[in-house]
Amino acid sequence: MTFRRKLLTVFALTVFLSVAAVTGLVLAVTRSAFEKTEGQRTAALITQFQQEFKHQGEEVARRVDTIAASEPVTRMATTLNGAASSTPADSAGYFELAKSMAESRQFDFLELVDGHGTIISSAQWPAKFGYPEAAFENLSASSEQGAFLKQEELQDSTALGLFAVRATRVGDHPIYVIGGRRLDKSFLSALDLPVDMRALLYQNRGDHFSPDLLLDPSSGENISEGVKPAEKFAPLIEAVRQYNQEMTGIVHWSSDQADDEVFHAIPLRGVGKERPLLGILLIGNSRRSYVELKRHIRASALLVGGGGIVLAILLSSWVAARVTRPVGQLARAARSVAAGNWDTRVEVPGTDELSQLADSFNRMTTELLTQKERLVQTERVAAWRELARRLAHELKNPLFPLQLTVENLVRARMQSPEQFDEVFRESSRTLLAEISNLKAIIGRFSEFSKMPHPQLQQVSVNELVRGVAQLFQAQLQAPGREPIDCKFEFDERLGPIAADPELLHRALSNLVLNAMDAMPKGGTLTLRTKPYDGKVIIEIADTGSGLTREECERIFTPYYTSKQHGTGLGLAIVQSVVSDHGGRISVQSEPGRGTTFMIELPSNPDTLQGTKS
Amino acid sequence: MRPFDWRWLVVSSLLAGALAADAETRTQYGGTAHVAMRAAPTSLDPADGTQPDSFARRSLTMLMFDTLVTTDENEHVQAALATSWQASTGNQRWQFRLRHGVKFHDGTPLTAEVAAASLRAANPSWNVLVDADSVVIERDGADPELLAELALPRNAIAKRNSDSKPSGTGPFHIVDWQPAKRLTLAAEEACWRGRPFLDGVEVEMGRSFRDQMMALDLGKADWVEVAPEQSRRISAEGRLLASSLPIELMALVFTRDVKSADDRMLRESLALSVERGSIRSVLLQGAGQPAASILPNWLSGYAFVFPTDADLPRARHAREQVRTIPTWSVGYDGSDPVARLLAERIALNARDAGLSLQPTTANAADLRLVRISLASPDPWIALANAAALTGMPPVKSTGGSVEDLYAAEQAALATQRIIPLFHLPVSYAVATTLKNWTLRRDGSWSLADAWIGSGKP
Repeated sequence: MTFRRKLLTVFALTVFLSVAAVTGLVLAVTRSAFEKTEGQRTAALITQFQQEFKHQGEEVARRVDTIAASEPVTRMATTLNGAASSTPADSAGYFELAKSMAESRQFDFLELVDGHGTIISSAQWPAKFGYPEAAFENLSASSEQGAFLKQEELQDSTALGLFAVRATRVGDHPIYVIGGRRLDKSFLSALDLPVDMRALLYQNRGDHFSPDLLLDPSSGENISEGVKPAEKFAPLIEAVRQYNQEMTGIVHWSSDQADDEVFHAIPLRGVGKERPLLGILLIGNSRRSYVELKRHIRASALLVGGGGIVLAILLSSWVAARVTRPVGQLARAARSVAAGNWDTRVEVPGTDELSQLADSFNRMTTELLTQKERLVQTERVAAWRELARRLAHELKNPLFPLQLTVENLVRARMQSPEQFDEVFRESSRTLLAEISNLKAIIGRFSEFSKMPHPQLQQVSVNELVRGVAQLFQAQLQAPGREPIDCKFEFDERLGPIAADPELLHRALSNLVLNAMDAMPKGGTLTLRTKPYDGKVIIEIADTGSGLTREECERIFTPYYTSKQHGTGLGLAIVQSVVSDHGGRISVQSEPGRGTTFMIELPSNPDTLQGTKS
Repeated sequence: MRPFDWRWLVVSSLLAGALAADAETRTQYGGTAHVAMRAAPTSLDPADGTQPDSFARRSLTMLMFDTLVTTDENEHVQAALATSWQASTGNQRWQFRLRHGVKFHDGTPLTAEVAAASLRAANPSWNVLVDADSVVIERDGADPELLAELALPRNAIAKRNSDSKPSGTGPFHIVDWQPAKRLTLAAEEACWRGRPFLDGVEVEMGRSFRDQMMALDLGKADWVEVAPEQSRRISAEGRLLASSLPIELMALVFTRDVKSADDRMLRESLALSVERGSIRSVLLQGAGQPAASILPNWLSGYAFVFPTDADLPRARHAREQVRTIPTWSVGYDGSDPVARLLAERIALNARDAGLSLQPTTANAADLRLVRISLASPDPWIALANAAALTGMPPVKSTGGSVEDLYAAEQAALATQRIIPLFHLPVSYAVATTLKNWTLRRDGSWSLADAWIGSGKP
């Protein structure tokens, strides 16, 4: 991954994490605030319900008081107390009294019950006269108390009501007036509900949840049908029924979370020792505002995050470009220097770290160039010295016989003229020989300085190498010296290359000669060809004495030789030939384990085509 | 407190009538009597079987039409349009000689052909023939009850016209007829029985008991119906009340026959669970008599042998014989104020026995709470008519003895198509100005001889 990409990733990640962290924090705070508000609103509504309950209860109790003290009830109590025993026939005249009084007092429920708990008159279920009031014991005990909840059985259903009981005592047998108002939609509608809140009432009856028992003032008769099926309340209702305590739950009306409502379920209990669970008040709070706020925050976070990431990408691209441009320039300059352009320089735009780096780079190349020039100068001097030494050495050897020969001629002229002619002839031969030797030395130096430019043509490397080997085959097996085995390891797949066969033959001959010189005690000469990465490899390996590391490093230096009588130009010529062919020569050797020269030559198909054309 | 006895109502009403007649015996012609009723017939044709039988319809019929024979208060047959009659072939062939000089309200004379056509229309199964000025009725078998049958209002002789206003020979003729709403009658000057005292009778139909009573209180009605449960209060308020003997049967009628042994046990359980005594005391306010028989005791003489008290242990025992308890729907007349309470109470009683009844005003129900107006003071005719109305097998007179009647009723009850509950009287509140009215034993009333007085007793 490039530095620019790394920088971009870091920037984008930083922005994303920052936005995510802020969003999460805002959501958490929002949720906390919403829950707190919801709790406050629910508590307020519960308080309001309780106040309404108390107010309605007081009103019910007041009206029941009025009925109990009314003239018809008092007269009825008097009449029934006068009878020896109360029978339906005795109370038949009061059969419709409860209904008429309930209508006048606006009661949903009104029953007149005798001291034995037998219903004399019932407004809500007139046909129930003569039957015992089911909860008479609890009701008679509550005759002087306030209002209470009671589940009233009706003809085909039950109803939850707010009841009060009062006794009319004329004689020994009191008459109980049990009046109440239905806890229904109108009661719930009387609650001043805040926006997004609603109150429902579930009448607890039966063993299982029933949608028909759920009253919702905001819907029709009940909410068992429609877009909000009442069955959704079943888990919450069942939980309250099971644990008989306040519970809170979320009702999911649809897949849209905005339709969810949080319901607080409050059990409503009746009177008596067991305080039965008669109803469940459900206070619902819509989560729409919260969900929409949450969505708004998320959308904003996404927008901000997305924008931030885009901005981060742009910013990081700009910053990365500003940061990496000098670095890139430095890299390109370094590659240029590596390619040999020692005078490469980079721009120094400012004074920051990268500018200082660029300045240092420039100073480094300047210093390298200076040192290189110095080194070249030094090497040039050293080369001249070496040349001078070699020339002196080469020339000194023939000159000394020349001097001796001339001195011998002089001495012979002076001391024995009779032998002078003979000495002269011998000295002349010696002089000519040495002069010839001098000419040869000078010729080799001249030849080195006049290396011809390769004349490329189609050359089969294998054939060329094989030709060189055949040239030296006789010498390899010459009598008077230890035999040298010659091995060929040619890759026959090699095609022709563009090369100058004469120069290449000469270079290979030099290498074979060197190998033979390295194996005075015989050995194995291996000639190997192979393709490698679009190039042609030619290896000449011997099993001779090998070279030291220092010799390996200097072996291609002109005039350097490890031989006793070498000019030090052979390998220099080889390197020059290989280099002129666009190739490269290297050496691998260890003392005592032989030496391998490896020539890499380009196939040069394009050059070959050009040559053909 | 002692239970209210309907007999006192009858006695008091008759006494009131007698006193009125005694105090103001000088009859007066003129005036119009105003009558209000709950029934709302859409046809005045006596033979129209699509119209439900009611005491009001019977009464209206007898204001406009005459039958061949009538029965007096002792159930003795009296001549009417037929002056004489003769039975032959073992009461299978009857010949009635028509009264001469009788004319219909449209002025046409009463002929044997018209009378025969009228009887054929009312009784399609009869073979009615004309023999000179006589009408001959031939039955498939002996029919000793034919005279009583002919005395029924539905067998009144009517001449049917194209204007839906049949013409009769009764004391009043039709002046205006608005079906189910209003009927205006005028005295028939040429009535063969003589002109009635009243100039006319105006009948308001489809009026509730409450509206009728208000009309009476406001002086807008002279003759109104009173619900049985209201009769005691009306009487206690000092109004003039006319009540018949218990002639109306209130019963639960199943809409289908017994299907299985379980069904039979459940019906028996229901019959045993109903607390007729409490219902009569409270819901009916002491009116009527608890009944377990179709015919009232005054009609049959043996009704007391049918126990009417609830027997909850037996009811539960019977119910426990059945594994699956269905929920029966009990239909009742929604316009009848006491019917709903009765249905609810019966459902409550049934619940005590472990049965499940659901009161409903829907027409489709497993059983219905019905009021059956017993057709005639003749027990055989009343029983046969009740059996026909409730889907029981036909009841045919076999000799006329009480034993036969008992056996016939017993057989009818054994079908368990019906659970008798009460025998109720028919009560009317009468304006004190209306004199000389008549309340027949079949529950119908007559103003043929009534007149408008000053109102003083």
